[in-house]
Amino acid sequence: MAREERMEKSSYKKFFPPKKKFCRFCQRNIKFIDYKNVDILKKYVPDRGKISPRRVTGTCAFHQRKLAEAVKRARLMGMLPYVED
Amino acid sequence: MRLYETGFLISPTLSEEEAEAIIVQMAEVVSQKNGKMIKQEKWGKRRMAYPIKKAGEAYYVFFHYEGEPDIPQELGRRFRQMDTILRYLTLNKETQVNVRKKKKAEKRSKAKEAAGDEETAESLSARDLGPAPADKKREEE
Repeated sequence: MAREERMEKSSYKKFFPPKKKFCRFCQRNIKFIDYKNVDILKKYVPDRGKISPRRVTGTCAFHQRKLAEAVKRARLMGMLPYVED
Repeated sequence: MRLYETGFLISPTLSEEEAEAIIVQMAEVVSQKNGKMIKQEKWGKRRMAYPIKKAGEAYYVFFHYEGEPDIPQELGRRFRQMDTILRYLTLNKETQVNVRKKKKAEKRSKAKEAAGDEETAESLSARDLGPAPADKKREEE
């Protein structure tokens, strides 16, 4: 059963390949992510207030690290929520 | 001399004039210790994402300054004494840049050594040197 499902998924992907994601910070050649521009950070922190993973946003490893740091700083300063329900 | 960035939140129970007085006081600390104030950012009263010390709003202020390490130390000491400061955060901006540059410089020198030592490593070193110009450009920007 499980194998069949997997097969289905792969064939589905073959005919409808997912849109290629890319790092938006690399694209704009940004080196440091400032914790003060909350508007950018908010895009990476959906409703629940969690930092969205790399596999969802397509951010590169280097910028994901910077991003996580910036989000945590912004949380400390009360610009972003720790938890939201 | 180092480049620092300090942000702090002032309690909303104070009036705008009182908050302004605190900002001026803190700016004086920087100038007293021979620091150079580069930029002052004031966001004014802003809603916070969650209450801190039972306050839902706060005055946001950010200082960008250059100076010796005793300035952020002194500022931190004063912030901790005052009840009207909800939070503060100091970042050292200079070191972040320096560490990256040092690592890149090391990599480049290693690539050069490899190119000089062996002929067989030529193809490898060429690959190593390939992305180097792009890095240089990035640094300049």
